[in-house]
Amino acid sequence: MIQRNLLMRSFLALCALGLSTLPARAWQESGGDEKKDEGADAKKKDEPERWFVVKNAEVHTGTGLVLRDAMVLAKNGKIEEIGHELDVPPDAKVLDAQGLRVYPGLVAISSAGLLGFSTSDFGDTLNPFNSNMILGLATGITTTGTGGAAVKLKRFSIKDAVVREKIYALFSYSSRNPSGRRTLREKFVSTAAWLREFREWEELVKKDKELKEPAKKNVDTSVLAVLKGEQVAKFNANDRDDLFAIARLAQEFGFRPVIEGCREGWTVADELGRAGASAILTPRDRRPKDELLSREGGSSIENAAILHRSGVAIAVVPGTESVDLGGIVGRDIMHLPIEADFAVRGGLPEEAALASITSVPARLMGIQHRVGTLEIGKDCDLIVTDGDLLHYETFVQWAVVDGKVVYDKQKELYFAHIRPRADAPVERKLDKGETEPKPEGDAPKEGEEEKPKDGEKPKDGEDKQGGDDEKKGGDGEKKGG
Amino acid sequence: MMLANLFFMLIGASGPTGATGDTRAATPSLLAIRVGKAETIAKGTLENAVILVEGGKIVAIGEDLPIERGIPILDRPAWVVMPGLVHAYSRLGCDSEGGEDMSPEVRAFAEVYPKAEEFEKVVEYGVTTLGLYPAGNGIPGQACAIRPLGATREEMLLADGCYLKIIVRATASSKKLLKDGFKKADEYAEKEKKAREKFDKDQKGAKKPEEKKEEKKEEPKSAEAPPSFSVPQDEPPAAAQDSKPDEKKDEKKPDGYVPPEPEAKVKPFVDMRAGKLRALVSIGSAAEYLHFLDALGKETISWDLRVPIQRESDLFYVIDKATYELEVDGIGEKKCRVVLEPVLSVVPGTMRNRNLPAELSRAGAKLVFVPRNDTLPDVKVWLMNVAELVANGLDRATALRAVTLEPASLLGVEARVGSLEKGKDANLLFYSGDPLEATSKLEAVMLDGRIVHGEVNP
Repeated sequence: MIQRNLLMRSFLALCALGLSTLPARAWQESGGDEKKDEGADAKKKDEPERWFVVKNAEVHTGTGLVLRDAMVLAKNGKIEEIGHELDVPPDAKVLDAQGLRVYPGLVAISSAGLLGFSTSDFGDTLNPFNSNMILGLATGITTTGTGGAAVKLKRFSIKDAVVREKIYALFSYSSRNPSGRRTLREKFVSTAAWLREFREWEELVKKDKELKEPAKKNVDTSVLAVLKGEQVAKFNANDRDDLFAIARLAQEFGFRPVIEGCREGWTVADELGRAGASAILTPRDRRPKDELLSREGGSSIENAAILHRSGVAIAVVPGTESVDLGGIVGRDIMHLPIEADFAVRGGLPEEAALASITSVPARLMGIQHRVGTLEIGKDCDLIVTDGDLLHYETFVQWAVVDGKVVYDKQKELYFAHIRPRADAPVERKLDKGETEPKPEGDAPKEGEEEKPKDGEKPKDGEDKQGGDDEKKGGDGEKKGG
Repeated sequence: MMLANLFFMLIGASGPTGATGDTRAATPSLLAIRVGKAETIAKGTLENAVILVEGGKIVAIGEDLPIERGIPILDRPAWVVMPGLVHAYSRLGCDSEGGEDMSPEVRAFAEVYPKAEEFEKVVEYGVTTLGLYPAGNGIPGQACAIRPLGATREEMLLADGCYLKIIVRATASSKKLLKDGFKKADEYAEKEKKAREKFDKDQKGAKKPEEKKEEKKEEPKSAEAPPSFSVPQDEPPAAAQDSKPDEKKDEKKPDGYVPPEPEAKVKPFVDMRAGKLRALVSIGSAAEYLHFLDALGKETISWDLRVPIQRESDLFYVIDKATYELEVDGIGEKKCRVVLEPVLSVVPGTMRNRNLPAELSRAGAKLVFVPRNDTLPDVKVWLMNVAELVANGLDRATALRAVTLEPASLLGVEARVGSLEKGKDANLLFYSGDPLEATSKLEAVMLDGRIVHGEVNP
């Protein structure tokens, strides 16, 4: 028995070691990626380098650093340098953020509808032109978790938008379903036992090549992926008892659970912190205390703050995951920073509140080597705001993804008219091919050429373009494709 | 088909005694037409145009041409003539249900029923050429071009295998369907390569004695298939009725090599790669355009687009590359044809008008209009809807081309129909005024030199 305990403990220690090195590994992986990118760069040598710079900004890197009057320089979509008075190539696209702030692009750990109607296979279903994506960017979101994948809000393009897929292994471990709870535990026990045998065999087989691989009996693939650190164990739990049980399970088998909901988390914050748990929570969520129990319970505005103090990483998500202006206004995905604000109201430090919608969700989804903070080598995904991100009055003025401006408040319909930027007054501009709207009943009759009305000049531009058409119409039969 | 036409010409002016033939007054086989204006489409507008029609063909066209004495003249100085409309993307007169997801070998021609009422009606509305596509999802099959009057299907046929309809949606399964088609074509190419190698090897072995080689050359011609490799015999009837075996023999290389016949479902993809078949790709939104290009990858087939224009269409995002800094070429840069309805749309979320056809045309795409709905009432008002776009900034010549010559090119029958030129079929529409004017009336329709609608006496 003692021996077994020892074994178990050493195994746990190993697991913990593995987990603690996880971020480091991820970082190394990103290093590997860079090497690959170099290879790709060699191929792409013919393609011109694409430079982008934001200057004169108050840069909040998301790592705790604030640089005043600073610049963020990006090359081919990756951050090249952050600092003061950098050398900027003459062909760089410049965004002057005088008097404005720069934050890392927000990471919504879950959302719905920002990528179009689809809920899976985003590489093949993404709609990079849908209006919800514009509203997501207007909120500041540049990466979102959805349907178990992490996808960037890359407008006008479907290429390389999916950052990671099959992130989570979803589990239920609730006291309301005792048999389910028992089954899951058994799965963990048997899978962990097999993994132990397998690791042993891996060592032994180096000496004795005849040795057979241990049989995969009662091995659960999801559990295995979690124990190997390939997938993130995600639970949905709110009750104190359940949270407590999850913490125990995680400690026993050495994995770090992500708990969605976590409304009574503040009552077992220490346990959750010790288990290395992370919480995805909505600070404005309310639930009553179970009055039959004498112990503490129910929701608390301090939930995020207390959990944070106990070492639980906090990711914030609003009450509604979609863009939903018909619902309870102020609680949909467009209020992600506002929701984080309510965690601050309950005592969460502002820095942690910013992290709860940037670096923490990025880390939970295992994509922190690409997004979540402004650091050299990471994707140049940033937002330019006209004030403190957590202030209700603040608007996102520009959103940048992969070093490309994909949202400009003054160029989209939605918020251009509210406190317009001084440099870009709202003007009524006709799009290419658009015609002046006509009052009802004045619709042109079929076949009638549009005649200029009194006091209205004929549209020269359009006439000219019409002439071009004629030329094009006469072109030979060039084949498309 | 040309032969068949010649045949009718020899028989006389009465032409085919189709469903409509006997009820109408006979049109003389040689006829001069003098009208106020002729929209030739190919060479602009002619004033005081004279068109000489003989044996169902236009034999001369020009301004103020002298007319020989004795030739009957149809003299209508107030009228305007334009070529018959070409509706290249239709299901009129067809009533089959959609097939399975992947049936590129299906041909719409198989379901043409010559006595369908719709055909007679569309002629009345000025449509003298119809392109019919097969129903279904995914990759439903190939379209045919017909003249809407005739006693038999064969008589109606202008061209078969005009385009392969491919529906691309922003789904993994839809994109996979297209990729799988080309994967199968890859497998065939591999097979063909092996057959070729084997053939060359056999040929080398036989080459040494000069005379024997001569014999070998004869052999494949006499036998149906050369013995060195097998031709798949399990061809479905759809491919069997294909008139292409003759062409195949012509393609035979001088050394006697006959490539193995691809499977019926694979052949359209092989043909597309060989440039023998165009694809008409149906997409519904800007995103689907990107997903189509993504699924197509590096394939260099010829393709055109079919885009149903909705009121809040977001197609403007992909019209050109520069405006929204796309990573791929826009539709304009691809210079492909775009089959769409003559509809004004709006800027999404507003009531501001947007003339997408005009924008597409300016960017370099070629427009092919179809009626707003594929129904008879909409075919009737087709030109009026086109006129609305012209009133809102679309170039007039482009608009007229988009209902005649451009759809004819989409169907690959532009050498016969779609414009008023010497040598082309005499498919003429006689309007009492400008065809795009609501007050103009379609007075008469001429199909292959015969007045098939309207009362006209020279």
